[in-house]
Amino acid sequence: MVFNSLQFLWFFPVVYALYRACTPLFGVDRGLRAENGLLLVASYYFYAAWDYRFLALLAASTIVDYSCGLAMNRLTRERQRRVIMALSIAFNLSLLGFFKYFNFFADNLAALAAALGWRLDFVTLRVLLPIGISFYTFVTMSYVIDVYRRDIQPTRNFVDFAVFVAYFPHLVAGPILRATKLLPQIQRPRRITGEQIRSGLWLIAWGFFQKIFVADNLAPLASRVFAHGSHPAGVNVLLGVYAFAFQIYGDFAGYSNIARGTSKLMGIELIENFRFPYLVRTPQAFWRHWHISLSTWLRDYLYIPLGGSRGTERQTRRNLIITMLLGGLWHGAAWTFVLWGFYQGVLLVLFRPHAAIIESWSGIRRIAAWVVMFHLTCAGWLIFRAPSIRDFAALTGGLFSNFAPSAVDVTGLLVPLVLYVTPLAVIHLVEARADDVLAVLRLPVGARYFVYSATLYLILLFGNFGGAEFIYFQF
Amino acid sequence: MRGRRALLVVAIAAVQFAMFEAALRIWGHSEAAPSFQALFMPDPVIGYRLRPNARTRFVTAEFDTTIAINSQGVRDDRNIGPKPAGERRIVVLGDSLVLSVQVDARQTFCHLLEERLNASETSRADGPRVHYRVINAGVQGYGPVEELLFYREVARAFAPDLVIETIFVGNDAEDAVASAAKLAAHASTTPNDSSLSDALSESVISRLRRIVRRSMVLQVLRLRVVSVTDRLSNWASPPEPPLQTYAEKPAARIADGLRISRQCVEAIAADAAGIHARTMVLLIPARFQVDEADYGHLKEAVEGTGGHLIRDAASARFNEALSTLAIPRIDALPALRAALPGPDVFFQQTVHLTPRGHQIVAAVLDEFVRRQGG
Repeated sequence: MVFNSLQFLWFFPVVYALYRACTPLFGVDRGLRAENGLLLVASYYFYAAWDYRFLALLAASTIVDYSCGLAMNRLTRERQRRVIMALSIAFNLSLLGFFKYFNFFADNLAALAAALGWRLDFVTLRVLLPIGISFYTFVTMSYVIDVYRRDIQPTRNFVDFAVFVAYFPHLVAGPILRATKLLPQIQRPRRITGEQIRSGLWLIAWGFFQKIFVADNLAPLASRVFAHGSHPAGVNVLLGVYAFAFQIYGDFAGYSNIARGTSKLMGIELIENFRFPYLVRTPQAFWRHWHISLSTWLRDYLYIPLGGSRGTERQTRRNLIITMLLGGLWHGAAWTFVLWGFYQGVLLVLFRPHAAIIESWSGIRRIAAWVVMFHLTCAGWLIFRAPSIRDFAALTGGLFSNFAPSAVDVTGLLVPLVLYVTPLAVIHLVEARADDVLAVLRLPVGARYFVYSATLYLILLFGNFGGAEFIYFQF
Repeated sequence: MRGRRALLVVAIAAVQFAMFEAALRIWGHSEAAPSFQALFMPDPVIGYRLRPNARTRFVTAEFDTTIAINSQGVRDDRNIGPKPAGERRIVVLGDSLVLSVQVDARQTFCHLLEERLNASETSRADGPRVHYRVINAGVQGYGPVEELLFYREVARAFAPDLVIETIFVGNDAEDAVASAAKLAAHASTTPNDSSLSDALSESVISRLRRIVRRSMVLQVLRLRVVSVTDRLSNWASPPEPPLQTYAEKPAARIADGLRISRQCVEAIAADAAGIHARTMVLLIPARFQVDEADYGHLKEAVEGTGGHLIRDAASARFNEALSTLAIPRIDALPALRAALPGPDVFFQQTVHLTPRGHQIVAAVLDEFVRRQGG
């Protein structure tokens, strides 16, 4: 099920009405159990609405990691605990590897063999990628690692753990939640405040705006430029990349906001996943503001265990490149994602000695740094969105050899790009100025109602109601 | 305090309504816009047709065109007078794929066909030269029934030497079934496109609806509501899989639609033969028959509703249905498919041809018309 579907339009009100009735009907303790039971059923239904067959995978992942958590808690010898953790990680990575990467590796190995004159007949399995598998395997892996590290106590309540894994607002496209943050909220009675309802409703409305008005309207503009084999003039490639930059941001940040908003209405706080990522001036800051739950996951469970920045400068650079390479591969089984990850790693390495200085700049240098960083980010999106490495090379070539400003597609690309991005940029600037993603809620009453009303009008009048899936579902 | 806040909300909403209304009227042309709807007028026989001498500018994210209708009610900036000696006239009947509001008149395959035919005449060394005039007689929302009626009511008077009936295989069977009653009645005013009919129908006199029609904002909101209620009503009774003309086992009405379409083509040909004009048929595929990504999405969507999409079934079914007629027929599908990979032949947000798509169809028709003896 997607948030922008008619199904969700009845699903959430029904679930929410039942959820709010639990405590009044059953009292605080039994009400909490009823709420968690309801959330589990609703979350599994939410997932099954896409494809019920893959519920088994979700359930298997939940049972294995729940059991591993308890087993590690019972064991006292470090070696045995490490074996349990390794088994759990191996299980999760096997799921991910099989469903997400099997064909990628098989195809590439076969191609390599063919290049060497050998013929390898692999069984190529055209397996369907279970939606959200990258997200929930990372969630369960972080739980097991945290238990191993003794950062948290494993939960004995299976329903609580299953809700933590499958909680429908974050199940299929994140944020990638940590047990330390979410489990306590599931285990204790929740009191929903007026502030949570207000901010939740705004986050939902703003998330739909980002998805339906910004992302889904920019999608055709980007698709036209990135169509396989297309040869647009360089200036149109540039506009197409801008369109994709805001499309992917609107799509993913929109999903995260709707997830946060629905969760707030239920009294559960999810972490902020995006914080004005296109207003930063260094790659270091970008990864502190873009897909925050993934970048912190990679930092805590990959970069730091690899050695982080504790070793020599050379080791730190190596760790950054490895982390970002794997981060790129997490996004999908394609060489373009690997190259994108490598590119992000290289950017982090190159900016590392200068990041603090650049962050301290003011005035014109600050603006220049922002412009440069935005275009470096866009260069990354060119790699990310290109259908293949060959298409990426052709599009990049067009930028440098066929830029032709006179060929700008004004009505087809430039005007719609400006129209769809401007309202988003205005609100972002308001939020960034206040350093608060909920700054709109604190505007004077007239301005606040103006924003609410304009947001609704823009969604209803110009939103794309085609029900397009969220890009990050494929990851 | 609460009353004041409510007043403030209403005032802000009203001011923004006026702002969006103004903005939509100035920049936001769409098919729901009064300016676009003004291109059409009711017709007692066909239901509706293009309004003579209408003119509008149509702007969307993908294109910006000016549409001019001549005094005879076809998309042409010239009037069509008596046929001069040495002129051969080709009338192209069809729906929005022929009318092509997405591109300038000079980019339509009708105009390009005229240019190509005349260019080959100019370069011809032997024999008497003729001048070709290709008339775009396409109308948005028409199906084979309306095209037959339009031919009889309007296009026959152009004295064509050749009539090309354009079949859009994607929906013409469905359109033919929906409009079958007009064939018998010959006086129905019920067009097959509900949004268009709503906008055109003079018979429903409701103050509220008039207000809605006059407002761009309310028009768009009305379409949103209609879309949601349609989707909700489909839930109540599970919908049949979409794109029935492409279904493995199509609904019975598809066979009826194919039969009615064949009857219409036959009737056009018989009528044209009466004025010594020949008839040809051009089949145009749906975008997903050409575009792989589009096909993937639709296949998945149809399978999601329990159906099975056969990509070229509609083309095959129309080819088979029309094969019993002794009327030359050309399918644009192979040429459009051969054009990819490359720049798009269909627009992303509509199922209509891009300028490149028009060039390809014009080339296909040029070769076909000449092969058939001009």
